[in-house]
Amino acid sequence: MIVSIILTFIILGTVVYTLAGQISSKMSQSAIDNLSESLGLLRGTIQAILQTEAEFQKLIAQELSLLEDPEAFVRSYNPNKTMGKVSIIPAGKSTGICNTGEVFTTDHLDFSSNKEVDGLPLSGSYLNDMGTWAYTISCPVVKDGTQTATLYIEYIYDSLDEALPPKFYNNNATLYMMDARSERFVLKPKGIGERTAGHINLQDFYNANRILEPEVQSMVSESIRNGDHVMFYHNVRDRESLIYMWAVNDGALYLIGYVPIDSIQQEGKAVNQNIIIVVVVMLVAFLICCILYFLNERQKSHILKEQAQERELHNQQLTEALQAAQIASSSKTMFLSNMSHDIRTPMNAILGFTTLLAKEADNPVKVREYTKKITASGQHLLGLINDVLDVSKIESGKAVLTMGEFTLDNMISSIDAIIRPMAKVKQQKFDVTAKDIKHERLIGDETRMNQILINLLSNSVKYTPEGGHIQLRIIGLEQRSNQFEHLKIEVEDNGYGMTQEYLEVIFDAFTRAENSTTNKVQGTGLGMAITKNIVELMGGTIHVTSEVDKGTLFTVELELRIPDQTSDGQFWEEHGIRRILAVDDEPYILDNIRILMKDTGVVTDVSADGVDALLQIRQALEKGDTYDLILMDWNMPGMNGVETAREIRELAGAGISILFLTACDWEYIKEEAESIGVDGFLAKPFFVSALKEKLTELGSGEAAAIMPADAAADNCLKGRHFLVAEDNEINSEILTELLRGEGVSCVVAETGRLAVDAFITADPGTYDAILMDVQMPVMNGYDATREIRSLDRADAASIPIIAMTANAFAEDVKNALDAGMNDHIAKPIDIEIIRRVLGKYLPSSGLDPTAHNTSAPQDT
Amino acid sequence: MKKKNRKLAVILLTGTLLMGVSACGKEPRVDKNLISNSDDAKRIVNMFTPMEKSNPNAENSARTAQELTVIAAEKALGVQVEYRTYTAENHQEKTYDEVLVDRARNNMDDIYLLNPDTLMLLGSEGHLADLSGLENAKNLREVVLVANTIDGKLVGIPQEVAAYGLFVNKDMFDRYHLELPNTPEEFLECCRVFKENGIETPVGANRWWLETFVLAQGFADLYNGGNTEAEIDAINSGEAKISDYMRPGFEFLKEMIDKGYIDAEKAYVSEAIDAEGPDFLAGKTPIVMAYWGAAITETAYGNPDFNMQVIGFPSSRGQMPVVPLTGYGISANAENMEDAVATLNFIISDEMLQLYTDNNQVISPSKNVNVDCIDALKPLNDIINEGVYVLGSNANMKVEQWGNTCLIVRKLLNGASVEECMAEFDRLQEESLKP
Repeated sequence: MIVSIILTFIILGTVVYTLAGQISSKMSQSAIDNLSESLGLLRGTIQAILQTEAEFQKLIAQELSLLEDPEAFVRSYNPNKTMGKVSIIPAGKSTGICNTGEVFTTDHLDFSSNKEVDGLPLSGSYLNDMGTWAYTISCPVVKDGTQTATLYIEYIYDSLDEALPPKFYNNNATLYMMDARSERFVLKPKGIGERTAGHINLQDFYNANRILEPEVQSMVSESIRNGDHVMFYHNVRDRESLIYMWAVNDGALYLIGYVPIDSIQQEGKAVNQNIIIVVVVMLVAFLICCILYFLNERQKSHILKEQAQERELHNQQLTEALQAAQIASSSKTMFLSNMSHDIRTPMNAILGFTTLLAKEADNPVKVREYTKKITASGQHLLGLINDVLDVSKIESGKAVLTMGEFTLDNMISSIDAIIRPMAKVKQQKFDVTAKDIKHERLIGDETRMNQILINLLSNSVKYTPEGGHIQLRIIGLEQRSNQFEHLKIEVEDNGYGMTQEYLEVIFDAFTRAENSTTNKVQGTGLGMAITKNIVELMGGTIHVTSEVDKGTLFTVELELRIPDQTSDGQFWEEHGIRRILAVDDEPYILDNIRILMKDTGVVTDVSADGVDALLQIRQALEKGDTYDLILMDWNMPGMNGVETAREIRELAGAGISILFLTACDWEYIKEEAESIGVDGFLAKPFFVSALKEKLTELGSGEAAAIMPADAAADNCLKGRHFLVAEDNEINSEILTELLRGEGVSCVVAETGRLAVDAFITADPGTYDAILMDVQMPVMNGYDATREIRSLDRADAASIPIIAMTANAFAEDVKNALDAGMNDHIAKPIDIEIIRRVLGKYLPSSGLDPTAHNTSAPQDT
Repeated sequence: MKKKNRKLAVILLTGTLLMGVSACGKEPRVDKNLISNSDDAKRIVNMFTPMEKSNPNAENSARTAQELTVIAAEKALGVQVEYRTYTAENHQEKTYDEVLVDRARNNMDDIYLLNPDTLMLLGSEGHLADLSGLENAKNLREVVLVANTIDGKLVGIPQEVAAYGLFVNKDMFDRYHLELPNTPEEFLECCRVFKENGIETPVGANRWWLETFVLAQGFADLYNGGNTEAEIDAINSGEAKISDYMRPGFEFLKEMIDKGYIDAEKAYVSEAIDAEGPDFLAGKTPIVMAYWGAAITETAYGNPDFNMQVIGFPSSRGQMPVVPLTGYGISANAENMEDAVATLNFIISDEMLQLYTDNNQVISPSKNVNVDCIDALKPLNDIINEGVYVLGSNANMKVEQWGNTCLIVRKLLNGASVEECMAEFDRLQEESLKP
């Protein structure tokens, strides 16, 4: 395209250049011809005048020859501006007379050049008495064939002025008349020639116009000598000009001047200019066409490009969609494969052991062993189902948070109770630390919080080899609002770690790290997706960093609302706690205690070691302002907690309560601690709620009753009579059988309606509790509960009604409680859970310090 | 859409082609006379002025200034001013003044640029018209009116007050620790020092301007002594001899010639500036004499490489400028009298004189126009502004001074004695006394 445009331009330029050159050349030649013609015309005119003057002079001479007194005739002549002087010299004399009466001689006249006009001698030019340039023609006066005198008439050059053009080439040309012999300029016609400076002579003309080349001057001189015309190009005052010297009267006179070429080529110049204008216009039009074409092409190309991009994008989207579909399909396939494997494995165990159980029904040892394994497999299967259902729910956007107050202490205790045993099995070290927490009582979905942490921690336990180290750190960050506690929760392990590629998809559903090590680990690959969704549901963020064989760090950031503060000053007063001393070698723990105790109104002193603690206690005793409670780290460098406690007891007796703070299993040190008078222990990290709970325990004297909670529950179930509402015959049979094993008798109602009727018809106190299925024909569990609660009898409001249903989500729990039920137990039935839950509501049951709601899914 | 565009393009191209063809093939109208017969001939005013030899690379600011006013006049009045010029090729040819007198006597031109002597000569012969009736003549300074009035007729009006002074190379004076001279004695002493220091000819001269020394010394008292009219009357009546006024100057020039401070032979045949100019500009000659405008004219001393100063001529009254007052005259029988008068009136208007003065930086003859002169001219300007000067010519004095003195100085240059020169003055005075 560009080449063709350039080529077109070159061709066009060449044609225009050639044409312009030809025109210019022709015009130049034409101008030279024209100039020559003009000069020739002027020359002819001047020669005609000279000729006329000569002829006129001959006529006068002829007239004079006829006169008696020719001198009288001469004297009678009055000079005019053509003829300055008329003189006559008689033949044979050297002097004569002129019309002014003066004596006339020819001394001042120079006829040596031998120039003639019409055969009469012509003198050289001279400055006459009138102060103007003149020439004289001499003419013999012949009478009867004999020359009697010579007539001299002086002609003035100025008279030739009228014969010359007033403007020569529009005043652009100069014109002078030069006397050839003397090279003096003798006439500058009006309107022609320089205004500010005339020329004296040829040399002056040369100088003024810088015609200084010797060869040019020589050529001119030669031509003038020969009486030839001269015309040549020369630069005059920066303009290329034609210099002309036109011989008049056989070279006696010369018309001299110059004309700039552009003045004589005005037509050519105009034509060339017009050609250039036309060419420029054409070029511009051509360029505009090119530009329009180019723009059009560009637009087209742009549109094509956009279309191509659109297609590409479309294809890419299609490809991505296909890939996504393929991945989804692959993921689902893999998930189904995993599920198939993961479900079949425990199912295989269940069915296999059931078969074995049938065979070994008479062997109680085998039966117990098989049932234990069947139970474990069933539990695992349950976990899988819970996860799948959870993901399904979260993905469909149906998940909601159940907000309520909870304490971090409870949350950590719950988690610790689950994770620590798992870690212990794999001989892993599990540390929990809390730091910079400003408020430990918060509002949130405790169940979901637990779910997050359990998912992360159980993952860490799973993917960390035996002997590994797992840490849970809960860190209070700077608050963005004083209404929210800003928490950072870190779960770190030194396990297998993950590849960078896997990190990118770890939070996608149905993904599971594939390698030889982790393949041994069972899981649905849903835990992380669930975790991330929950965190985001809570408005938080979750990040993971990991390195293969180095470990993994999960970081969750959350903001949880702080409930309205209620002063608990009364609690401390009631328990006689005014002043406490915290002893720990870790400064951050001491800081933590101080921060958390700040709002309690209890004076909190700290000490970094046992010796210092003893010193402070001694000083306090001396001042009579003794400590009411010592919180003592068990494991300190130097003097450890046990020794220090012993010293304290020696120093202060039993007046001061001592609680050990420890991250270790209390069972290891319990015996020694109790022997030296330690009142109890608090699990690290420290929380005020835990302390208050412990103080309550100590106050009610239950602390000493260290007995398994389930043992207490056992006692509470035995001999009870329950109403069971269950439409499924198998389930009701399993339940009744299990309860029978616990010494419980049951009445089964197949619908809610029957259950209500059974309750109504029975005497008050007949049933100790009602276990209520939810989904039943005729009347569901909720309606049945509401009806029972609405009955006008004494036990209608107080009888514990426990939901026992396969609807295991948090909102199901909420719905159950809203309907008036006391608690919720998820199917499948776990007798341990039944025992624990019912233990809370049956009149003779005691408070189990480790009890907590474990109805939510716990495992990934 | 595309088809539409194509159709449009074809229509446009066809239209353009048709227009081009029709323009080329235009038939000329046969019923129209193509020649304008209206009389557009310009009214001509012939002006005879001196002409310098052409130097295409030099700018003659004086002529440029004059030209500017003439062009303005042409434009304003619709006339065409035709320059007639003459310059002698050499000293043997007729001088400009001689040719001018011939031409004026034969009524060859309308306006003449006259030197003081020709002005007086032609004025007294009645060849010059009375210009006192010009509207703009009323703006002229008194000195101008006095110097150019002959027999009660104002015969010349200048565009500048042409003051003459000494152009000195101040660097050379400084080199020899010389003060600028005020009196003839001091001047001679300076020349002596220069001569002794190898400056062969301390004063560069030509055949035209040496009379300035004579006039300055001769008339310093006459014009600055407070008794001018009485002294002029005494000369005009023959009671006082003009030769007595001229003698000191001639004796001074004679001493200069005798001591070789002036090269008389060279000066006798030299045109103005031609001979002495190159040496002065080359720093070989420390002193020359010239008119005011030469200090700003490139053809003269407009661009020296040294510190040039223009001072007055030495006299008993100190430095003395000589003001000869050249001027324009109109032929009494001018062919184009009306246009010539209008043209002259126009070019001596205050507006034109201001234009002239701004370009030429000269002292204006109009009392309404002032000049900002260049540094070199300030010494001379200061003296003139103090009212100290000698007129180069005074029409009230019967013996013409400028031209006659010039001619007699030439005789001195040519070897005549001071006495012979004084005798010539006496003769002229006697002639002037004749009725």
